[in-house]
Amino acid sequence: MSKHSAEADVAFISALAELLNKNDLTEVSVKREYGENDSLEVRVVKQSNIVQMTATAAAPAIAHAPAATATPAAATVANEDPAQHPGAVTSPMVGTVYLSAEPGATPFVGVGATVTEGQTVLIIEAMKTMNHIPAPRAGVVKRILVSDGTPVEYGAPLMIIE
Amino acid sequence: MLARVDSTNAEAARLAPGNAGPVWILAAEQTAGRGRRSRSWSSPPGNFHATLAFHPEGTAAEVALHSFAASLALRDALVALTGLPASFALKWPNDVLLNGGKLAGILLESLGRGAGVSHLAIGIGVNLIAAPAAADLDPDALPAVTLLGETGLRIAPQALLDHLAPAMAERIAQLSHGFGALRADWLAHAARLGQPIRARTGQTTRHGTFETIDDTGALILTTSEGRTAIPAAEVFF
Repeated sequence: MSKHSAEADVAFISALAELLNKNDLTEVSVKREYGENDSLEVRVVKQSNIVQMTATAAAPAIAHAPAATATPAAATVANEDPAQHPGAVTSPMVGTVYLSAEPGATPFVGVGATVTEGQTVLIIEAMKTMNHIPAPRAGVVKRILVSDGTPVEYGAPLMIIE
Repeated sequence: MLARVDSTNAEAARLAPGNAGPVWILAAEQTAGRGRRSRSWSSPPGNFHATLAFHPEGTAAEVALHSFAASLALRDALVALTGLPASFALKWPNDVLLNGGKLAGILLESLGRGAGVSHLAIGIGVNLIAAPAAADLDPDALPAVTLLGETGLRIAPQALLDHLAPAMAERIAQLSHGFGALRADWLAHAARLGQPIRARTGQTTRHGTFETIDDTGALILTTSEGRTAIPAAEVFF
């Protein structure tokens, strides 16, 4: 018989889900030993088109959470790393990404949009330099991997154009 | 020199494909002057609105360091014209302050090409004689000041350009040897260094102490959570 309540389990799982969102992770798995024949194993996975490049850096924060051991999310996405995708547009610099020319304006492109080579698909800002990122080739925008106004790292996949 | 244009940066973008060397575009008046994130920039006749357009070398991150070269060059030119070195300070990354108020804004726009950029436009607006009213500004922003109002000096836009163009060429040449010396010069004139500031990126505002800028130009802020490097933000005092 379980010595801890189902309610406590639910609270624990929702705390993990919160942790997942707060740290931009895609997956957390935890095993807790409460005593003999009493353990709880949880795996929380977030399905998302948004791949956050902060995942690896955020992972150490999880290690400090009480009784939690985490698998870095990077390991789970490595198999389908969008940066390795042949149609990936990657960030040439560290900065903040913008999907439209100004707040509230129509985005440069949306998923499904046909783009021509050289067309601006997004902007990356660093040091108040607005760097317009052109489509490296003509094609269709298959995925947008970043959200407006968020930080991006050098080499981070931004978009898939095929 | 143009009598009237929508924006000198927009004109630079139109000229870019056929423009071989560095070119300055000076406009007496802008009808659609822009700041960061397309915020409007008041550009009446008598104020300075100009863009330097050229094809820079280096990676996109290196090109972004022209922000510091531009603000230092503008300060150099203003100091030469006014003889008031103590009155001008720099706010990260590239605002020029006069007596603590916002005198000038600089907006850089580049077009990426692979790891580098194919062209860069450095747009510079200076409130020589007129500034927007406080009601038209972000309530958290610094008050806007004019050169005329603060110093009593009436400088013509062309006279400022005559000083700015060589100053900019010098600062860009300095940057071509690396960021070290430029960074040191910028820090020597930085406003609020070692003091508490706020940095807003998107919906996130971070409070902390402005420690320094790192060798990529990022703002180093010490917050309650530790040191953080910020490549893009609006800074408030």
